[in-house]
Amino acid sequence: MKLFSEAHKTVFVVDHCPYMSESCRQTVEFDMFTKNRAPGIIPLAPISKSLWTCAVESAMEYCRIMYDIFPARKQPAMINNMMSAPRDHKLLTVAPKQLMGSTRVNFIVSDSRAHTLNSWSQEDQNLQELMAALAAVGPPNPRMDPECCSVLHGLVEAVEVLCKCTDYQHEARTTLMENADRVSNRGRIICITNAKSDSHVRMLEDCVQETIHEHNKLAASSDHLMQVQHCELVLIHTYTVGEDSMVSDRPRKDISSVLTSEVHSVRAGRQLPAKLTTLVQQHFDLASTTITNIPMKEEQHANTSANYDVELLHQKDAHTELLKNANQEPNICGSYLQNGGQRHSKKEGKTIAALTCDHVKGKKGDPHIVCSNSRDGPVKDTVTLKWCTPRTNNVELHYCTGAYRISPVDVNSRPSSCLTNFLLNGRSVLLEQPRKSGSKVISHMLCSHGGEIFLHVLSCCRSILEEPPSISEGCGGRVTDYRITDFGEFMRENRLAPVLETRYMMDGNVEVPLERAKCQLERHTRYWPMIISQTTIFNMQAVVPLASLIVKESLTEEDVLNCQKTIYNLVDMERKNDHLPISTVGTRGKGSKRDEQYRIMWNELETLVRAHLNNSEKHQRVLECLLACRSKPPEEEDRKKGRRKREDKEDKSDKAMKDYEPDKSWQDSERLKGTLEREKEELVEAEIIKDSPDSPEPLNKKPRVSIGEIQPIEKVKGPMSLLAMWTNRINTANSRKHQEFAGRLSSVNNKAELYQHLKEENGVDAHENGKASRQ
Amino acid sequence: MIHFYNSSTVTTVTMPTVVLLDVSLSMTRPVSMEGSEEYQRKHLAAHGLSMLFEHMATNYKLEFTALVAFSSLWELMVPFTRDYNTLQEALSTVDDYDKTCLESALVGISNIVQEEWGVCIPCQIILVTDGSLGIGRGSLRHSLATLNHRGEENKFPLPFPFPSKLYVMCIANLEELQTTDTLDILERMIDVNNGEGQIFTIDGPLCLKNVQSMFGKLIDQAYTPFHAVLKCGHLVSDMQMFPRPEPVTIDEELEPVPKSINTELDILGFIKIADISSPPVLSRHLVLPIAFNKEGDDLGTGIPEETEDENSASQIAGKMPSFCVLLHGSLKVEGMVAIVQLGPDWYGMLYSQADSKKKSNLMMSLFEPGPEPLPWLGRISQLGPILDAAENPYGEDDSKSPFPLQPRTKRSYAQNVTVWIKPSGLQTDVQKILRNARKLPEKTQTFYKELNRLRKAALAFGFLDLLKGVADMLDRECTLLPETAHPDAAFQLSHAAQQLKLASTGNSEYAAYEHNITPLQTDFSGSSADRI
Repeated sequence: MKLFSEAHKTVFVVDHCPYMSESCRQTVEFDMFTKNRAPGIIPLAPISKSLWTCAVESAMEYCRIMYDIFPARKQPAMINNMMSAPRDHKLLTVAPKQLMGSTRVNFIVSDSRAHTLNSWSQEDQNLQELMAALAAVGPPNPRMDPECCSVLHGLVEAVEVLCKCTDYQHEARTTLMENADRVSNRGRIICITNAKSDSHVRMLEDCVQETIHEHNKLAASSDHLMQVQHCELVLIHTYTVGEDSMVSDRPRKDISSVLTSEVHSVRAGRQLPAKLTTLVQQHFDLASTTITNIPMKEEQHANTSANYDVELLHQKDAHTELLKNANQEPNICGSYLQNGGQRHSKKEGKTIAALTCDHVKGKKGDPHIVCSNSRDGPVKDTVTLKWCTPRTNNVELHYCTGAYRISPVDVNSRPSSCLTNFLLNGRSVLLEQPRKSGSKVISHMLCSHGGEIFLHVLSCCRSILEEPPSISEGCGGRVTDYRITDFGEFMRENRLAPVLETRYMMDGNVEVPLERAKCQLERHTRYWPMIISQTTIFNMQAVVPLASLIVKESLTEEDVLNCQKTIYNLVDMERKNDHLPISTVGTRGKGSKRDEQYRIMWNELETLVRAHLNNSEKHQRVLECLLACRSKPPEEEDRKKGRRKREDKEDKSDKAMKDYEPDKSWQDSERLKGTLEREKEELVEAEIIKDSPDSPEPLNKKPRVSIGEIQPIEKVKGPMSLLAMWTNRINTANSRKHQEFAGRLSSVNNKAELYQHLKEENGVDAHENGKASRQ
Repeated sequence: MIHFYNSSTVTTVTMPTVVLLDVSLSMTRPVSMEGSEEYQRKHLAAHGLSMLFEHMATNYKLEFTALVAFSSLWELMVPFTRDYNTLQEALSTVDDYDKTCLESALVGISNIVQEEWGVCIPCQIILVTDGSLGIGRGSLRHSLATLNHRGEENKFPLPFPFPSKLYVMCIANLEELQTTDTLDILERMIDVNNGEGQIFTIDGPLCLKNVQSMFGKLIDQAYTPFHAVLKCGHLVSDMQMFPRPEPVTIDEELEPVPKSINTELDILGFIKIADISSPPVLSRHLVLPIAFNKEGDDLGTGIPEETEDENSASQIAGKMPSFCVLLHGSLKVEGMVAIVQLGPDWYGMLYSQADSKKKSNLMMSLFEPGPEPLPWLGRISQLGPILDAAENPYGEDDSKSPFPLQPRTKRSYAQNVTVWIKPSGLQTDVQKILRNARKLPEKTQTFYKELNRLRKAALAFGFLDLLKGVADMLDRECTLLPETAHPDAAFQLSHAAQQLKLASTGNSEYAAYEHNITPLQTDFSGSSADRI
């Protein structure tokens, strides 16, 4: 188990003593514009930064890169999460790789006393806050008494601050309760000062060591403080340009079991920020990628463009796969086209192997791929990737194995800001590994999400899923009348969106939006035939208002009225004997056709409404209206016949009802019917999944054809064909089902027993309950 | 917690298989069996492999397998193929050769796999041997003993450069193996392969039945197809995921336990492809709908076999409506993905992937386990149905989107930060002010905006000399104004210069960070040029 690493907490201690106000003696021309544009005018004298300015802007650059790549985020609350894993399985560690969201910086300046500029809390973790705090402190006052000023105050304060918990540590401790001691507390102090000598440096180290010792004693007896388990002290001695350093560099060494220390002696001016940029890469395990060949319009000549390079920093992991590939032995390196789409033939493989040779050579000299990022060595290596001008703006789902936030090395340079603005505007750029010639390997993609730019790692291995069978060749692949468009509409209605405000349920618990989404899907699919020939009502424009309202959790009075209107409308249609878009395969002779069709339609509508009966009292009113309005019960004779059959089938149908799949048995028979129908219609292409229109026109056409085909079979009294037998069987099954609804309607007025699943969900045994209520 | 990284602890897929078959003379040792014809160990090996191939032909039609035979030399008998008949045939045609020399065969495999798959695809290697590992140079004992005294050129092939599992199937029972140090050596070999692998031995006497049970264990361990039920409310479909998703361990947890995905996968809702925006995933899998007939027998995935007639099981299965196919069709048409719950705080997505114009498939990708796998979606549990919202977050005409979520603070490249560590950064900022200064009063707003930006940064960095310098520069500009210049320009320039000079004193009254220099209120519209 890894624990909170040093990178979780960083304390900057910047010396604010009078000598820091000295000039770094490196001058900056700032009046360039005049110099170039207005000859004859003497430009203003160049100015120079103070040691303090150099120190502060370097520290800010360190923070800038860190916040870009590991932006501070609030620790997601672990408690109150209904779907969370058991407490001990929670992520509670912040190893360097997983720092996302949990980096914390504390900024301290030190003169006659320590000034802490911010806290560990997430709100304080951004550049603006730090800039404002630094402005409030201002530059060091050269007239202050140097005797009473020291960076020591800051270092002591830094240790004290390290003993305080961050929100992440606090959360982990609270979560772990009795195991709270397993949450570790490590940190890093980066101190920028001007030391007098090596012995002065040793004095500072000893002081930190002693302070940790003392504060750990204090923390041991405190509930809210944590002992410092390990501290990495990075002392940066900075001095004016042209002077000799009084302090020597020293690599990291252990001062004690809790303290390691390293010393960097760096000239102020341009070298100090370079040093901190190197350090931030080491501390946070970053790597650099240079995007090359970016075409940019020239400022002066808008119609010409030149190519530019932009260097980006990001987590090292974005290169893992790349380097792994580059390390392959040249003669066995298989490299494949982007996304593993196509594999090269053996012959081609060889040519590519040759190309990969330069790739591997690059490891030694070629600047393209360099992977020697030893921890203490200078981090200058960069991987070069080539810009591929995006052709279209189409949305594509790439197979991406990682995404890492980036930070431009030179954030405000024109090429950098051109690139970042391009990406922030929603474009994305594919990046290609440079090869001398031949294959094109796209290995990365740059794009932004919500104002953050990510380097995506695209898989460039050969896909193991190549040449998969098309879905149309598998189960259900030959069915051609899926309600594709309707389901598309269903998906749009069941789209997800972030819920920002907290809502409460009736019992006072916090409502989890995702659970609401699941409930909605449950409701919307209670009655949802998958293919067009399985349904009548969903092919009818007239039913749409009711169908879209009835799935709601609760109805308004207006909704009920609209549902009723739909029903009256249908009654009207029936009276006028309007044609229904029903799949007529399997319906009986022409005489009873319309009646039969309407009966099927009413039955299906009833199934739909009954499925939502228990949603609310108003849903019941819709059913009542439906029952009152639907066509008169079938003739007496039919009913008798139906009853007999119902008795035979009672057990089975009851079960079906209770399982809350009222449409299941019906669906089965429909399914067979559909199969039958499709067998007849061999004309259908297997490869194509037809988009099923929600408008009923094509259906109206199809049935007419099939009616013509069916009728002769009915009339001919000769030996029955297999098809006719099937048809009859299905008809019987269908009629049984319809009878059953009618019979139920007339016999018992007991609605509660029908849709037992709702009770079942509440833990009541549906079967038992159903029987009880019948007696 | 969000973290984007290639989790090294993830064993993603059960993928291409290389069978490494020992064909040394020792494999021809006879096995004594009661009342039957004489068997040799190689027959037992062939029997076991035949059973494995049969299993894969039924359940892993898409798996690639290669067969390598080895003795002192090695030979690629069958290159990677999905044609299990070829593999079965090859089993019966292998000859007997000389002694066992595993190392060169492992080198061979390493090359074959890399040539075919590169180094990213995990591979399973099944070594079938009788446990006599050879003697002298080239024997496994010798190889392992000299492991640490080798140069780059003749490095031992293990661990393989690609992720791998090395299964050793011993055509020998435990008792037999324990008389020598064979097991220790094999265990050491697996240790060298980073512990990735396992040794199987025959329980009891050597016979067909016990060989079967040994290969049965391997199948259970490594070649069980993953079946699951895909649910969207009441719409359900049985399905197989290929390759099967392997358990994932997150070792940053207090007590890491491998997480497996549920066998009941609930769809939670839908999101547009543009909104999910190429998310990073752990692995991706083909989703194949499967059908069960009335007796509960597996009708298979419905993928037609070549020799099939019209009424075969898969033909019937093809004509039964499947929710997977409906879902795929609509996802494709709408350009959407379905968000799926894989386990507690673990999510994935279903989408349509086109192989070519004609062929497309339902695919599932697994996100990194965690409550918030993608920062631009936020916490998944906070996603709710749009019908709950007072106003459709996608707009009535589908013209907007609630995604991506915006982070609380902007990144440096999106917020116009001031960085002067290179002189060019500083020069650019000064130039911007100067350029606007020369276009006063038209550019008054931009002039002051740039001026204030510079002022803030200079105050934060304690760079007061710069404020003085720029003030001097503005004063000079004032003197250089042409006669045709608008009178306001001079007023604004000297006002700005004066304000900067005040700030450069560091005096808290004028050097407050939050304070902004505002344009001088002048009125040149009237007849008088009086300042207000």
